[in-house]
Amino acid sequence: MRLFSAELLKLRRRWASYIVLIILLGLMSLVYLLIGVSGRGSGGGATFISFPGSFGIINQFVFGLGSLLGVAYAAAIAGADWNWSVFRVAIARGESRSRYVLMKALAIAFVLLIGVIIAYAVGLLLTYVAAGLAGVQPGSLLTRNRLDDVARSLYLGFPVLIERAAIGFAVAVLLRSQLAGVIVGIVLYIGESILAAVLIGITLADQGFDGIGRLGMQWYQFLPFSIGDSVLSATTGLGGDDITSFILSPIPLNTALIVTAIYLAAALGVAVVAVERSEISG
Amino acid sequence: MTAVPADAMAITTRGLTKRYGARPALAGLDMNVPRGIVYGFLGPNGSGKTTTLRLLVGLLRPDAGSIEVLGQPFSWRDRRRMFRIGSLIETPSFYPYLSGRDNLRVFGAAGPPTRPERVGQVLSGVGLADRARDKVKTYSLGMKQRLGIAAALLSDPELLLLDEPANGLDPGGIVAMREMLRNVTAEGKTVVVSSHILPEVQQLADVVGIVSAGRLVSEGPLTKLLEATGHVRVRVRPDEMVAAAPILRALAADRPLYGVDTGAQAGWFTVSVLPSRASEVNRLLADAGIHAMGLEAGNDLEGLFLQLTQATSAATGPAPLPTSSGTLGPHG
Repeated sequence: MRLFSAELLKLRRRWASYIVLIILLGLMSLVYLLIGVSGRGSGGGATFISFPGSFGIINQFVFGLGSLLGVAYAAAIAGADWNWSVFRVAIARGESRSRYVLMKALAIAFVLLIGVIIAYAVGLLLTYVAAGLAGVQPGSLLTRNRLDDVARSLYLGFPVLIERAAIGFAVAVLLRSQLAGVIVGIVLYIGESILAAVLIGITLADQGFDGIGRLGMQWYQFLPFSIGDSVLSATTGLGGDDITSFILSPIPLNTALIVTAIYLAAALGVAVVAVERSEISG
Repeated sequence: MTAVPADAMAITTRGLTKRYGARPALAGLDMNVPRGIVYGFLGPNGSGKTTTLRLLVGLLRPDAGSIEVLGQPFSWRDRRRMFRIGSLIETPSFYPYLSGRDNLRVFGAAGPPTRPERVGQVLSGVGLADRARDKVKTYSLGMKQRLGIAAALLSDPELLLLDEPANGLDPGGIVAMREMLRNVTAEGKTVVVSSHILPEVQQLADVVGIVSAGRLVSEGPLTKLLEATGHVRVRVRPDEMVAAAPILRALAADRPLYGVDTGAQAGWFTVSVLPSRASEVNRLLADAGIHAMGLEAGNDLEGLFLQLTQATSAATGPAPLPTSSGTLGPHG
């Protein structure tokens, strides 16, 4: 517990914890305000600034862009211990390598959870602001269905976000570098999206897709960053955070959640094995 | 070194070997650190000092050989033993965005349980109490060094490993550190100070180990080492040299005695005895009616250090140099 508290103290004092959230909230506010202002009088974009459609934008920001930021954040935090050579201080004091890394990951997950809750709350608030600007009725949030939507988005979205962040975390631990961890983490994230898009294109060409209905599941939907799209497609709103969800049949939710959990465990396992085996000479 | 009960030793290594790729860092290090003393671990840059310290706190795994720490065999996963060791290895490392106090708080959360009030105690002990709330990124090198020593003392360890602890310290800081380490050993704890700065170790250490090219080339009490390298130079009138020589030879026992009987330096004797015996040299000569015209005392620890380390560095194989406390240096 004292190790977890110490990790939280470090994260609380670190600017990156706040900058990541500010970037997310800033961009989300900008988009909502643009929708609100551009829809003034015409009521355009009403779907996105009223419930339940608004959940789509919020989910895209919190769990889509949020995932990218989460990857960078987790990699930055994990890699910094190597950059500043403080990992060796903890290990030389007799701390368990595995416990140290897992407590760090847990603390990052905790901070990300707080960030997700704040971002989600701000997203809901922005829906009302944008709807007010556009002069449309956002609908009530305080109904059982809408509150269920919020809860469902959070409990399905959060595992996806931490699974993706855990990959960034593991990459930084493996590379023992903050900068390399952040860059490689982001490149993997974006690279997999590009790869998936290319593979979708190939699948469409191969199967002569006519734009009606959805194609069956494809293997690349099971890739580490793509698997989350199937989970997110089960949330209310736009469903999923990219075009894949409209073209390909999503992986069944339970399967997608299990695979997500496996990737999360694998990422943490890789990080643990890396620190247990590594010799600390720097 | 003669056989000593295992629990009388803080550290014992036998045949300790470590390679970084093809490059050997340690080539069979046999090291003996008795408890309750300051052990000066001397060696030139790249001789294997830091590698040894890393092995002693489980940061590295040895390729071969054995380590005993505080009387028990030690492996790199022996966390409980590490609880009893405090260390400052290489440069002091901290979270730059945290204050000195917060850095110690987060380090205190790792490893052995640390009482919260201990943070304040060690900060005061190293003279950083008034800067404890400032971020470490605003600290000078000397302040970081002090904070590193504070971090090493955090869990009140039985064994303290300090790598170049005087690095960046001002003269006042060095004196304070020396005093603090003396206090630590007065409590029966053991301090290992690794350094390539001879005068620093000379003022601190009770026992010295000299490492070169990954091997211990000399080890023993500092007094023995100083005895081996100590000398008193005394000048008499050239015509009194014949009378003075037997007196000085008796003083030097089996050590060499050098005399200059011609030229500008005529009358100078060099006696291989501890510098502290300079007054005795003067008195014995005076008792024989010989009055010294000049008297100098000193020792050539640096010369011995260079001789031992350069000899080993030049050798490609294992260094055939003595490592017992009785043969610390050239005896003439």
